[in-house]
Amino acid sequence: MKDIFLSLEVLFRPRGIRRRDVSLVIMKKKIGNMTGYIMILPVVAIISVFTIYPLFYAIKTSLYEILLARPFLRPYVGYGNYLEVIKSYYFFKSLLNSLVYAAMCVFMVTVVGLGVSLLLNCRYKITNVLRIIIVVPWAIPFVVSGVMWKWIFNSSYGAFNGLLYSLGITDAYVSWLGHPLYAKICLAIAHAWKEIPFAAILFLAVLQTIPRELYDAVRVDGGTSWMAFKYVTLPLIKPVLLVVVIWETVIGFTMFDLVYVMTGGGPGDSTSLISWYTYAETFKFLNLGKGAALSILLALIVLAMIIIYLKVIRVEQVY
Amino acid sequence: MLTLMHKKHWQKLIVYILSIVVFIFVLGPLVWIFLSSLQGEADLFVVPPNWIPKKITLDNYHYVFTGKIPESYEVKGLIRSRISQEARYIVPTIINSFIIAIFVMLINLAAASLAAYAFSRIKFKGKMPLYIYILTSRLLPAMAIAIPFYFIVNSLNLLDTKFSIISVHCVYTLPFSTWFLTLYFGEIPKDTEDAALVDGCNHYQAFWYVLLPIALPGLSAACAFSFVFSYSDFLFPLLMTQTLKSKTMSVLISSLSNNPDVSYALISVCVVLAVIPLLFIGFFFRNYIIKGMTIIIK
Repeated sequence: MKDIFLSLEVLFRPRGIRRRDVSLVIMKKKIGNMTGYIMILPVVAIISVFTIYPLFYAIKTSLYEILLARPFLRPYVGYGNYLEVIKSYYFFKSLLNSLVYAAMCVFMVTVVGLGVSLLLNCRYKITNVLRIIIVVPWAIPFVVSGVMWKWIFNSSYGAFNGLLYSLGITDAYVSWLGHPLYAKICLAIAHAWKEIPFAAILFLAVLQTIPRELYDAVRVDGGTSWMAFKYVTLPLIKPVLLVVVIWETVIGFTMFDLVYVMTGGGPGDSTSLISWYTYAETFKFLNLGKGAALSILLALIVLAMIIIYLKVIRVEQVY
Repeated sequence: MLTLMHKKHWQKLIVYILSIVVFIFVLGPLVWIFLSSLQGEADLFVVPPNWIPKKITLDNYHYVFTGKIPESYEVKGLIRSRISQEARYIVPTIINSFIIAIFVMLINLAAASLAAYAFSRIKFKGKMPLYIYILTSRLLPAMAIAIPFYFIVNSLNLLDTKFSIISVHCVYTLPFSTWFLTLYFGEIPKDTEDAALVDGCNHYQAFWYVLLPIALPGLSAACAFSFVFSYSDFLFPLLMTQTLKSKTMSVLISSLSNNPDVSYALISVCVVLAVIPLLFIGFFFRNYIIKGMTIIIK
């Protein structure tokens, strides 16, 4: 806009057009506005410096064999670290653990989040109060959520065990965090407790944009509530559903805080997720080359998952 | 007529029951931790647990703030009481976390709003590729750059400072804030700013005097998001901090939970103290947060 005024002003100036002014106008038209570059400079600079350089450092480290036990001998091994990691006993097991955990989280968060948002969409007094309360777990850190649920699932004095025992469902306290499968489910519950409000609010926002006439049309045509849900609600919330599923998968796959606080790797190897092994390889086994290789592999796997998601669901209207 | 009224009552009943279930699920753990923090250690170790606490004491809070050991821990007999000095570090670490989060929030506010203004209002060459570059840097998992970041910071001798944590948190919050604010500024009509530009402002003045006052709700939401992310972050402070000089709340809580010498009453106290700023933000900023999430999905 300003370019137009500048060029007009040059045309109507009383003295002759100076070459400097013309070239300034042409430069502004070609590059655009210099102000734009200056304005985005802080953000781009901070992101580039702290993302690109560490990434290259990680790739470089993963090509050498660096053991902190003998720090001065760093032979170049090329893809040796990657081969060792893929052939190790824990790689595919931890990938499987991560996939199972992520699947549980995605299922819980999506289904329960959708249910909660349908509940919040009803206009009663209690649901209005619920809308105020529902934001609270989203603000709580994963570490705190892990500590809280660790106390609730405690095998000797926990509230969950107490509840089941008092209601007569079980006849002894069960060690939830000490059982391979139940430990994963407990982790998933702690994760879902924090993520359900996020999903519920997103779904609620979309549900509120669906016009009432569509539901009335289904009612008039003689459909049940289930048909209304299946043919009106579900197609219209598909973009948000995709966003929630992708977000939850990425967060569930790279979850580290909950594992560290609640199970520390789990009974045996059962909750050792791939992110946990990256940490353990570097800071417990002190093998920096393999740790860097694992972190690069993790980044590639996450990228591949996102691309697969976008291709499979065939995104046209989601950006 | 009667069947219609029946159906409405049934519906209301189901909605009420489900809402109460959701209430208990959402608030239950928080209330349980709060009640646990108000009891002595001996009262927590009963089978089945006391749903309504029999004796409420503020002794645990007293211990964390002043160091006076509560009486209930001294009557033990054979069982060693679990009270560790580490729990008393919670207040300095909360202050550390708070300072780091405030700095991250301010840097986010300044840099991201400028960049968002540029992306939404100004045309310049290479805008789209830069925008996509900023967004995709968000997809990088934290673990991939955390470990190299540790070694870089170590070689710069910045290992135990708040500055390193602030910088890495900025890297993680800036893309999201920029994207969110770009969407938000895109919703605001350009007319007022164009009027200002015609009247002779340059872009900076238009941004400062015209756009910022209109965009305050979106900026509050971006502040809330970045504050909550920075305050709750765990992986980077775990790697970067060693001493109390820069330790954050999340690192301390995780080490307390793995410490066998800390009773659950003490952990509950630390958790309650740590969560207070977040509850404050979650409650007062909830409208902005919800509106912000609404804008994201559009």
